[in-house]
Amino acid sequence: MSTTFLPCGIYHQEYAKEHAWWQTPFIKGKMILLLIVLFFIIPFFADSYELSLCNQIGYTILGAIGVQLLIGFCGQITLGHAAFLAVGAYTSTLLILEFPWPAFMIDWGLAYPASIIIAAFMAGIWSVIFGLPSARVKGFYLILTTMAAQFIIVDFIITQYVSQIGGRGQAFSIPPETIKIGPVAIDSDLKVYFMILFFVIICVVVLANLIRSKVGRAWIAIRDNDISADVMGINVIKYKLMAFFVAGCIGGIAGSCWISNIAAISPEHFPWSWSLWLVGVVLIGGVGSIHGTIFGSIFMVLVMEGLQLLVIPLVDIYPKLLMDFLFIKEAAFGLAICIFMIFEPYGLSYRWWQLKNYFNLWPFSY
Amino acid sequence: MELFLMTIVTGIMVGGIYALVALGWVLIYKCSGVLNLAMGEMTLIGAYISITFYSMGIPFLLALLLSLIIGLILGILTERIFLDKLIGEPVLSVIMVTVGLSFFFKGSLELIWGTDTKVFTPPVFPLEPIEIGPIVIGQAYLWSFIAAIILLIAFVCFFKYTRWGLAMQATADDEMAALSLGISARFVYAAAWSIAFISAGVGGTLLGNINGLNISVAHLGLLVLPVVVLGGLNSVPGAIVGGIIIGILQNLCGAYLDQYFPGGVKEIAPFAFMVIFLLFKPYGLWGWERIERV
Repeated sequence: MSTTFLPCGIYHQEYAKEHAWWQTPFIKGKMILLLIVLFFIIPFFADSYELSLCNQIGYTILGAIGVQLLIGFCGQITLGHAAFLAVGAYTSTLLILEFPWPAFMIDWGLAYPASIIIAAFMAGIWSVIFGLPSARVKGFYLILTTMAAQFIIVDFIITQYVSQIGGRGQAFSIPPETIKIGPVAIDSDLKVYFMILFFVIICVVVLANLIRSKVGRAWIAIRDNDISADVMGINVIKYKLMAFFVAGCIGGIAGSCWISNIAAISPEHFPWSWSLWLVGVVLIGGVGSIHGTIFGSIFMVLVMEGLQLLVIPLVDIYPKLLMDFLFIKEAAFGLAICIFMIFEPYGLSYRWWQLKNYFNLWPFSY
Repeated sequence: MELFLMTIVTGIMVGGIYALVALGWVLIYKCSGVLNLAMGEMTLIGAYISITFYSMGIPFLLALLLSLIIGLILGILTERIFLDKLIGEPVLSVIMVTVGLSFFFKGSLELIWGTDTKVFTPPVFPLEPIEIGPIVIGQAYLWSFIAAIILLIAFVCFFKYTRWGLAMQATADDEMAALSLGISARFVYAAAWSIAFISAGVGGTLLGNINGLNISVAHLGLLVLPVVVLGGLNSVPGAIVGGIIIGILQNLCGAYLDQYFPGGVKEIAPFAFMVIFLLFKPYGLWGWERIERV
């Protein structure tokens, strides 16, 4: 997918402008409008249910964007990303619950922000450990090692060992008022919304800028052909591991953000199907585009909610349906992936790109 | 020593079933180049169908046969509807379609049969164990192993001596040459998928006989991945040997490591072993080494 064409009659006269994010006044206006909607319209006009949907979308974006980096920009297919989300979430929870923070950290509400940073770092390290085989293997074999990461980290280390810390049994409940940023306790959907929004914007901006830097160009070269990238003098192993590290960091941030939204955390929050779900989101959104990830997340969350709304009226007729909804959701997700891969292999972002070009080139599209 | 021998024997018995499922996987990969992650759910489908027939009072062998016929039809349908359109697409697309299929199968299975554990009642194989010298093994294991071996031999003969089997071998070897000799590649793909469904269904039924049948049998079906990595992705003997090795390894880890690392060592060990093995010998014992050029 190449870049979008500029509208007729607009030319750049400086190189810097050619690389700017918001190139025309129209785009500038559009993005500012989007920010206004995100920061002022949604939080104050949406009710609690809609806000929780937005939080779910934001969490999916944060999770999927790391997968997008690995699959879409570095070509390293991963099917175990939920494991790194789990590492982030558990690191953060354990730090909040068990770590003897100095008194001033807790008083000033710095414990949670600090734990997010440490969680991101931990998840990055774990991601690099399981990315190490990428130095030797690729393609299908790498898929297997990332799958193994999921089983080893979540099903074994976290379920059997980490969950035993403190003798709480399977689930760690997070008492209210412990998750604080500064003086504000993150306890309502609105506050979670702002926090997740903040992290989504940070991650998207960081990733988008990484992609157009030296590192990003190296990743894309590795994705397109790793042997020629090697021949051109790119240190393939270093950049692959860097991609794993960044993706793990973003996953860790996603995990530790999510604990503010749930009262208790257990290994069931990070099953293998969640890893596959994230990859599915990336594929439906479009491989190799950041806004594709966002489209994919919005699409999947909204479609599944729509499905639920569709099912609810039927429950009166056939009550078993409510219990079975989870299974319907799984089957629908599987079918959605198959249909997208067969009929729309470039994902939603390709359609978006076509649409933009259609309007930019209108009326002379040839 | 007795424990050791017994673990080894049980491992071989279970490994036979893994080998059978892995054979189906390798066949799909050899013939059509599809890396199939839906194998776990495919084992479940056959198992659930045969348990349904069995609980309706149909004799076990007939129930198994009926489930095989349904598996055959499902295999052809799956190939025609989903995978036929993806020939020549990038690896990720094909893999994700199989992942999508696995979600679809799993959701539908849970919708139809629920999540409770089902057992074959009355038990198909007698419950009292057989003693061979110092070794005691359950009859379910023994008969499953025998059934798996018979099917393995039948499949190998099918590839070696029948016209269809030879056509499949030819396609796996060189698709262009096979096409020019008048072999229909689409027929071969459909045949590969139906054989995979059949072998997975038999494997699932046998595994369901041993431990009871629920969704977690799909996890055992996923063990096919370490098996094929160990044996080499496109090697039929590799699948058989790999299945037996993984079966032994899994049971040894369960017997000896469980006291040091309590919990699910048995489920994790094959995957951990696979990661380490991949680092040293990524193409498996008998897989083709692929030489890459720019």
